[in-house]
Amino acid sequence: MTPSSTQQNPLIAKLERFGPLSDGDRAAVQGISTPVEYVSAQTDLVHEGEKPRGTLLMLEGMAYRYKMRASGARQIVAYLLPGDMGDLDVGLLNHMDHSVGTFSECKVAWIKPEALAGIQQAHPAVASALRMSTLVDEATLREWLLNVGGRSSIERVAHLFSELLLRLQVVGLVTGDSYKLPIRQEELGDTTGMSTVHVNRVLMELRRRGLIDLSGGSLTILNRRDLEALAEFKPNYLHLGEWRAA
Amino acid sequence: MSLHLQPVQVATDSDDMESQLVFDAGMLVAVLVRLSSAHETYAGKWYLEAGFGRVDHPHPPMFADLDEAQAWIAGQLTLHP
Repeated sequence: MTPSSTQQNPLIAKLERFGPLSDGDRAAVQGISTPVEYVSAQTDLVHEGEKPRGTLLMLEGMAYRYKMRASGARQIVAYLLPGDMGDLDVGLLNHMDHSVGTFSECKVAWIKPEALAGIQQAHPAVASALRMSTLVDEATLREWLLNVGGRSSIERVAHLFSELLLRLQVVGLVTGDSYKLPIRQEELGDTTGMSTVHVNRVLMELRRRGLIDLSGGSLTILNRRDLEALAEFKPNYLHLGEWRAA
Repeated sequence: MSLHLQPVQVATDSDDMESQLVFDAGMLVAVLVRLSSAHETYAGKWYLEAGFGRVDHPHPPMFADLDEAQAWIAGQLTLHP
């Protein structure tokens, strides 16, 4: 394995934010990141009710966890970005309690419970970073609950865009203050608990205030400080340590 | 059921201003807003900006015209008599 191949693994990039990894740790993480599968955009990776295949690892693309009502109404409860994983202990479950769909084409791996247990036992630094990653997932869910329950329309979207900027920066997917956002307005609505009408109004207002530009599937944050201030964005819940100050 | 409409302008912080208050027997039950050209494929549709009581909906619908909107509102009001 060459150093460049490990640098390209977003899980390694993410876990190294939580603590140093040795060459052996990195090689082990690289080892559980295969075999890979490519999944088309707008496809379900996981269906609620089915038996888990293993722990999902995102290597490329963007996906989301969601719950669906009988009426077909959907609430998106998490975004899965490169380096993000499904639940580590999903092997304990007989049935999935939520679904996972893709926004864009995704490259993923499915990690078997025994492979995950093996790496956690043999590589304590990886085990610790994976547990940290789970804590961050839970903290992010709390933050999203606050978002839909406690922020105004424009604040919700501003908060989401601020969070994505930081999370994508960790895995090297931000250029300047721009990143790819393969997410439709109705999906932003299902994420933030808003109708497409309100999402459209909010996007126009954010543009009018000179905070963002959204075109061609890319989001550019034009004034990061003001966008974060509008959202009251405090990145403490992402637990990126000293990285943000670096 | 006889619904009564009253034209108003609503400050939605957008170009969507043309609106109708919808009354049922003198009680305000909904606010409909006509979507501006900024909404592209939805432009010109009537959006349930607010629904009160039985007309409240977590996923507010859009309607092609005011007749369709009123039919839906009337249906909601008689859904659970």
